[in-house]
Amino acid sequence: MSDVMSNPGRGLQTQDARARRRHRAEVRFRAYGVMAIATGLILLVILLGTIVSNGTGAFRQAFVEIDVYLDPAKLDKKGNRDIADIKKVSTFGYAPLAQQALLAEIEARGIETPLRKAKEMKNLLSSSAAAQMRDLVIAQPEMIGQTVSFRLLASSRVDGYLKGRVMRENIAKDKNISVEQLDLTDALIQAGVITSGFNMAFITGSDASESRPEQAGIGVSMLGSLFMMVVVLVLSLPIGVAASIYLEEFAPKNRLTDLIEVNISNLAAVPSIVFGILGLAVFIQFAHLPQSAPLVGGLVLTLMTLPTVIISTRAALKAVPPSIRDAALGVGASKMQSVFHHVLPLAMPGILTGTILGLAQALGETAPLLLIGMVGYVATNYPGGLASGFLDPNSAMPAQIYEWAKRADPAFYERAWGGIMILLAFLLMMNIIAILLRRRFERRW
Amino acid sequence: MYDMNKQETAVTQKEIKFSARDVQVYYGDAHAIKDVSVELEDKTVTAFIGPSGCGKSSFLRCLNRMNDTIDICRVEGDIKLDGEDIYHKAVDPVQLRARVGMVFQKPNPFPKSIYDNVAYGPRIHGLARTKADLDEIVEKALRRGAIWDEVKDRLSAPGTGLSGGQQQRLCIARAVATEPEVLLMDEPCSALDPIATAQVEELIDELRKSYSLVIVTHSMQQAARVSQKTAFFHLGSLVEYGETAQIFTNPVDERTESYITGRIG
Amino acid sequence: MPALWLLLILILLGVIGYVVGRARAVRSAGGNVSDLHSLPNHYGSFVALSVVVPALTVMLIWLLAQPLVLNAIVSTDFPVVAIPENASVDLVMSDVRRIAEGLDKAEAQGVLDQSPLNTIADDAGALRGMLAGVGVALGADVTPEVLSASQSYRALAASGQGMMTGLVLLVALVGFAYAIRRTHKEFRARNVVEAGIKTLLIFAASIAILTTIGIVLSLIFNTLHFFRLHPASDFFQGLVWAPSFGGGSELGVLPLLWGTLYISLIALIVAVPVGLFAAIYLSEYATPGVRAFAKPLIEILAGIPTIVYGLFALLTVGPMLMSVFGRDGLGWMQAGTAVITAGLVMGIMLIPFVSSLSDDIINAVPQSLRDGSYALGSTQSETIRQVVLPAALPGIVGAILLAASRAIGETMIVVLGAGAAARLDLNPFEAMTTVTAKIVSQLTGDADFASPEALVAFALGMTLFVITLALNVVALMIVRTYREQYE
Repeated sequence: MSDVMSNPGRGLQTQDARARRRHRAEVRFRAYGVMAIATGLILLVILLGTIVSNGTGAFRQAFVEIDVYLDPAKLDKKGNRDIADIKKVSTFGYAPLAQQALLAEIEARGIETPLRKAKEMKNLLSSSAAAQMRDLVIAQPEMIGQTVSFRLLASSRVDGYLKGRVMRENIAKDKNISVEQLDLTDALIQAGVITSGFNMAFITGSDASESRPEQAGIGVSMLGSLFMMVVVLVLSLPIGVAASIYLEEFAPKNRLTDLIEVNISNLAAVPSIVFGILGLAVFIQFAHLPQSAPLVGGLVLTLMTLPTVIISTRAALKAVPPSIRDAALGVGASKMQSVFHHVLPLAMPGILTGTILGLAQALGETAPLLLIGMVGYVATNYPGGLASGFLDPNSAMPAQIYEWAKRADPAFYERAWGGIMILLAFLLMMNIIAILLRRRFERRW
Repeated sequence: MYDMNKQETAVTQKEIKFSARDVQVYYGDAHAIKDVSVELEDKTVTAFIGPSGCGKSSFLRCLNRMNDTIDICRVEGDIKLDGEDIYHKAVDPVQLRARVGMVFQKPNPFPKSIYDNVAYGPRIHGLARTKADLDEIVEKALRRGAIWDEVKDRLSAPGTGLSGGQQQRLCIARAVATEPEVLLMDEPCSALDPIATAQVEELIDELRKSYSLVIVTHSMQQAARVSQKTAFFHLGSLVEYGETAQIFTNPVDERTESYITGRIG
Repeated sequence: MPALWLLLILILLGVIGYVVGRARAVRSAGGNVSDLHSLPNHYGSFVALSVVVPALTVMLIWLLAQPLVLNAIVSTDFPVVAIPENASVDLVMSDVRRIAEGLDKAEAQGVLDQSPLNTIADDAGALRGMLAGVGVALGADVTPEVLSASQSYRALAASGQGMMTGLVLLVALVGFAYAIRRTHKEFRARNVVEAGIKTLLIFAASIAILTTIGIVLSLIFNTLHFFRLHPASDFFQGLVWAPSFGGGSELGVLPLLWGTLYISLIALIVAVPVGLFAAIYLSEYATPGVRAFAKPLIEILAGIPTIVYGLFALLTVGPMLMSVFGRDGLGWMQAGTAVITAGLVMGIMLIPFVSSLSDDIINAVPQSLRDGSYALGSTQSETIRQVVLPAALPGIVGAILLAASRAIGETMIVVLGAGAAARLDLNPFEAMTTVTAKIVSQLTGDADFASPEALVAFALGMTLFVITLALNVVALMIVRTYREQYE
């Protein structure tokens, strides 16, 4: 029937053709495994690499450093330094001052350029520059008439030119920058008038309108996320723990508790957008809570996170050995006391780990927020206080990133990637805390 | 004790199948088997007895290199099968295991049909060219496993649906289907009831005609019933090895005597 | 924030109740704590719970019911003639509420005092301007009927607020008195408190059920509403998706379902082989060191928010595919957003999902089966392919179904990466759209919530919910039976 069978002294060290074939199959199969792992790791590296290489630009920003003469003739025509009159001068009154100052700087440094008019400097400066000057003047009216040095935001095109996003080859149709202006930019960089520095305003600042990507920051939506996370933490931890204690320690085995269990594991797998629909229908249409409010976002994310918290809390409670409960009951504690005095404290590290991971999931969630109106809203105002933090319209970090990704100007993409870096930094921090908690308090029974 | 082993093995008349010299087994830092030297005969049932944790199962698993599947396990010393070192670098453990079959403590049929369970070995080793060949091998193995009459009408039923005793006989049939020369049995009856145990013991006696069998058992009665040679292990060492009748009636070492009379173990 | 203040007062009352109850119990035992039936804390907690829980329940119910009741009262008083054509009472009422809200805000900011309402009522545009000034934008000018309705709404709301405050405080005080009266050393406070806590625990556990009920109800009611405006058969059998907010939309779900399934299929084609082989390698071959290194790294992919994958699809993978398959390359692709873009990126997202679930499943296959196979002389890969994987198959199928459900319900990747056109097409380089993407686009526009074009989102949500629920139930059942088999 076969050579192997008819030869009882089959050698152990000689491989026949079949054995060799089987071993080749073994090597191949193993290689598939290695390839799969490598694919996963390479994709991770590509993804993170893309994020970092595209996003670091958002943390640097081009500035124009010039001395501006705050001309009383323009800013305070009546000359009485009345704050109400000063306020009447809009940013349009300030913009020419900056442009003239820049032109004066160019002439003073002897930079050659065909651009001889102040108006031609407009494209080099951000339109927020005027607002920056106006804010200073309104805060300190005595500055009028003096020459003040400003560090003004350069325009998004100049900023992009410094970062390599705007290139000479493809600006032919661009109304917002010209080749001459780029030549001038080069010269100004040489002269140290245009500098590049760390962009703190991106981290702390507020969102800006479509035309001013150089001014957009993620700070306000970060606060929105923070307020939502407070709601999620305050609601999902106690409710999740209470529900888990009931299901794990007290619930009788009957159809109702079975139903609750099946229900929880299913809720954990319901698409997040469905929770958004729930939030829209129940919290906004039915209960008339304010749209775009972090409170509503927090409520929706709480419902979404609750199954995760319950599942991990139950696992933590289950890991506490029954002997602990027996010991407490044995000295005459009630069931409730044995749970609250002994089981719960022992399970706490596991519960906190699970809750932090649930929060991390909620922090990165976008889809439900779209439906309750946290997108499309330009988050320009810092919340005025606690109540307004919860109730006034705001955005959230992932919603802000989505908003930037949808805008037409590619300068916003850089902000979106930068926003992702900040979001991932928060997630990383939360995961590290969770891991440390687990390492520090993990018990093996 | 070491000398005594030599003296005992010298009595052997039958052909030697396995010969082990100074075998050491470590699990990480733990020294599980110390200086075991033994020669196992062909067409004989050899029983390994001893208290729990004495190393008899570990030693058994050295004989077909099943210990390779445990990462932290390390084996030193010589083990020869028909004069070939089975721990030589060039040896393919897969081919070794085709020649040295094994049956485990708990019956472990694959979650497949009875037929596929038995046909699994012949298929991977390419023992059959045609379907008819395979059918023949399966039938022969099931007959040798003394279970053919019970399952011949339901070969496509899952093997996991059989009773415990039937499952264990199916596993024995599965092991003999690859035509091994040695069959290792690790407490094959410990999960079975007395009736199933009797059936398996009967089968072991039958199989002795064609194979060399090594059986690890906790039950001294079982060792006395089925084996011709017995090895007594204690704390990782081989204490005594000899004819079963002699070990049970007139042990040389006092530890063996203590164990047999129930004082240790 | 009267509700917040009320809440604080309740908490304060609860704390006082705790202190008083505890002291009274101790006094009743003559200062000898061991004479008490329960611990002093239990008496304190009993009073605190009696104060807070019933009052809080009343407050919550009132807060939920008040807007409904107000709506009903105000809308029945609203003159029918004043409802404009092609608008419903709901629509008018939402205007009424917005104006009421705006007036409240205006009053809070002190804008209202400067211009008395009577004069504004004559000049509808002025009111609109003023409300816009406090951040409430109105779609149309305010008719006098609407203004008066919103004024009565405000009045009712204010008196409702007052009544609620009174009632809640009354309930709290009654609870206080009742609990104090019962507090005595013979009273079994512990049993009562524990029963109360248990009720609270049960309530917490039933929030999960309430969430599901909430989801189902909000989907069903709005879906039924939609089917009254748009025939259900057109929705389920329609081959064209062309919403137009002017009316006469064609709202067929089939192109959306096709896009959803097509993208999910591509995602699974990417994720299943990679994830499964990664799981096999990690659980069967990898040394503990490699496992401890590679497993968490791959699982990082699962912790990355989907918005990141969406951006990756839109800005990186799309342009990259365009450079190969686009106009400059093979010419198959019109734009970076396409089925293949979203599918590939979603596949990356699902790799860790498939791998960690399959890893668990493969690890649950008992070692004895592997031993049995090795003992017969099979190689490791033969053992895996012919013994371990068949044994793990049900569990793996469950894992893949869960991954499929995740793919079908994924939103951000398709919103950003798949395009917006609804198509029934086989070409993976075409832009297509999905159920989830359309839910987002129909509910985030300026559409009014009563139009079929917005309500269709609820029907889409219902479809999505039913499909994913079915997949989840089947998958969880399979996985559960599988686990039990080897326990």
